[in-house]
Amino acid sequence: MNIDQLCSELGLVRAESGIVEVLREELARQAEALVVKEAPLVFMYATDERARGSGFAVHAVFSVAGDGFLTLRAALPADAPAYPALTRSIMAAHWYERLMGDQFGILAEGHPDWRRLMHHENIPAGTHPLRKDFAWNTRLPHAQEPHLMHQVEGQGVYEIPVGPIHAGIIEPGHFRFNVRGERILTLEGKLFFTHKGVEKLVEGKTPEAALPFVERISGDMAVGHTLAYAQAVERAVGCAVSPRTRWLRVVWNELERFTAHIFDIGNMAGNGTGFTFMAAQGFRMLEELRRLHEALVGHRYLRGAITLGGAHDLDALAQQQLSAQLRKTERELETILDVAFRSDGLMERFETTGVLSPDAARAYGARGVGARGSGIATDLRSEHPYAAYAELPFLVVMEAAGDVAARFRVRAREAAQALALIRAALDSLPEGSAQVALVPKQGSALGWAESFRGAVIDFVQLDERGTIDRLAVSDPSFMNWPLFGELGPGNIVPDFPLCNKSLNLSYSGTDL
Amino acid sequence: MNGMLFILQGVVTLMLAPLMVGLVRFFKARFQNRRGAVPWLPYVSLWSLFAKDMTITRYSSWVFRFVPFVLASIALVLAFVVPTFAYGVVPPFLSNLFLVGGLFAFGSAWLVLGGMDTASAFGNMGASREMTLAALVEPALYVSLATIAFAAGSWSLDGMLAHEAGLSWHGGALPLSFALGALLLVALTENARYPVDNPATHLELTMVHEAMVLEYSGPYLALLEYAAAVKLTVTMLFLFALALPFGLMHVGASPLAVVFWYIVRFVFASFIVAFIESVIVKMRFYRMQEYLSLALFVALAGLVLVLMQQFSF
Repeated sequence: MNIDQLCSELGLVRAESGIVEVLREELARQAEALVVKEAPLVFMYATDERARGSGFAVHAVFSVAGDGFLTLRAALPADAPAYPALTRSIMAAHWYERLMGDQFGILAEGHPDWRRLMHHENIPAGTHPLRKDFAWNTRLPHAQEPHLMHQVEGQGVYEIPVGPIHAGIIEPGHFRFNVRGERILTLEGKLFFTHKGVEKLVEGKTPEAALPFVERISGDMAVGHTLAYAQAVERAVGCAVSPRTRWLRVVWNELERFTAHIFDIGNMAGNGTGFTFMAAQGFRMLEELRRLHEALVGHRYLRGAITLGGAHDLDALAQQQLSAQLRKTERELETILDVAFRSDGLMERFETTGVLSPDAARAYGARGVGARGSGIATDLRSEHPYAAYAELPFLVVMEAAGDVAARFRVRAREAAQALALIRAALDSLPEGSAQVALVPKQGSALGWAESFRGAVIDFVQLDERGTIDRLAVSDPSFMNWPLFGELGPGNIVPDFPLCNKSLNLSYSGTDL
Repeated sequence: MNGMLFILQGVVTLMLAPLMVGLVRFFKARFQNRRGAVPWLPYVSLWSLFAKDMTITRYSSWVFRFVPFVLASIALVLAFVVPTFAYGVVPPFLSNLFLVGGLFAFGSAWLVLGGMDTASAFGNMGASREMTLAALVEPALYVSLATIAFAAGSWSLDGMLAHEAGLSWHGGALPLSFALGALLLVALTENARYPVDNPATHLELTMVHEAMVLEYSGPYLALLEYAAAVKLTVTMLFLFALALPFGLMHVGASPLAVVFWYIVRFVFASFIVAFIESVIVKMRFYRMQEYLSLALFVALAGLVLVLMQQFSF
């Protein structure tokens, strides 16, 4: 099924920009029709177009595998922006609609859970920071808005509040468990404690000046975020990168994925279960890779690897250094994975823990390892190939069980696959320059990349001066956090940290 | 002479208890290819904790403030009544196995009250887990000790040690090895070590012992940590004194051999705990009843063998 077929079947008319304009009353019905036709909803964002004489607009982006993304756009009036909620039939929309409610004051009518999402209790009601008439440096009064969390009542049921301050050095997030004995009945997260305001801060900046902000959306995902952003900007201004850049971007993306999977393998098997061997060895290997990053691009978390219109180049010496370290790490990884898979105690902790059903994964729009561990073959690198992925041998890694063990296996296999891709890319690295000049001008486009946490999708709109009018970022963590409400219940409380580590979501990426 | 030894044994245990905790951590670090901190770091930690101020929530009662002293007192008593390198010095009525087992349970009960007193979710979660484990561990504890008691004909720990010391390897070693195996599983549970609890974790949701002491700080925390160290030291030293009953202090023993074997057992016990914690994974909490049932059945097997031996004569 391609986009043209879909549109003609559903009676949708694409404008020249590729966007389909629909009436706001029609948005939910058309969205449902698309989802039924196996074009899942992946992204929603709103824009404030009051300065251009209209009102607000809400956009819903659908993925049509193999043929790109289809965007539905509904214009909303400036005085009372509202539209019938998509969440009534599409679960994947539920956080986006709440987010747009906070950011723009757009009401999703009939949303089943119309509470705040991004704003915590101290933000006054009626604060909508992404409206153009809200100055980024506004000092807000200290409010005390109530925020009710789900509660369960009954004999022997009690509540465990965890966080937002944790014992380990992790980011803030509050989790509310309702348990009976050790068994989890419900689990709800409350994140968004450290809002950075990236989307607001980059408005009015040139794409180049905005790049460092995007790079810092989630510290360990610098390549994933910058790659999606750079590709969006390049598409918006019509800039074609050199073949060498496309191959290099595969190298950087896969190197970040590889490093992150090493961390997760050590963290899940080591810290999650208390198997100290895996933690010690995994983190040692991680440190070697971080030092490699620093030697190659000058930053331990690969900042600067992706540039607008280019990528950090690798000379012959750097390529040798990279290959040598990867050979060493590959051997060591095989050894420790062998130990892990042979440890009955470890596999016993992993198996049947934190099961995510394929239905839930699909309904919530799960991304990355979370989806692929539950038998959902979603991977932007094959569905919507970018950089040089279309030219490289590549199969989506998938496991069916949906438990922690399945996610561990996906990570282990993807680590091996990342190495193969890096080698293939280095072997056929085209000659030439790794950087082309990029001249910002008016335009808008989507850009995407498959980071180690899953799909990152960016929408960039540049105004007539070539500065950013709107940047909307869809981070995989944002889509995957609600999954805990599904995979947590039924497990026992001491197994939750393991479930948590098996998805390894970013707080910072969610709260950008 | 006996009075002197009695005091010496207790004082040595009290002095060396933090060292065992440090040694375990040191060996664990080495198993992980890390250099690790010096083994005497716990002394420094305890000292700095004692010098700190305390933060005590106003939503706590006298129970919260009372618990550290109860635990410390129990540790003090345990250090004196559990024989670690000498036998024939602790009066039998003081090292009676039910008295010692009772002290363990008494300490757990107070710790649980302390954990629950502030009404924090973690304290209560830890308390609930501790009570679950206490109920599961008790049968295995008493059956394994009773096995040795039957074989030794004495219900005091001191008498058991005396019996072990005089035992020839072909004599009653088999049933006793069952009992010792069960006792090791019990000792790991009692001291909140692997595979039951992870003393090094920062994950509040998985804690047992640490969850109950989460609200404590400063000198109270130091008392509780010290009490835990003493408990670990006496259980491991007694267990390994039973397993390696060489160089135990009695009339006519050479002091050099006593010191040598004491050090061997001390280091070996720390090494074994560290080894176990490096090669296995912490068990799922709902597997605990299987783990402790195993301990119980191993102990029962030993008991049956001992009783058969006794009645066949």
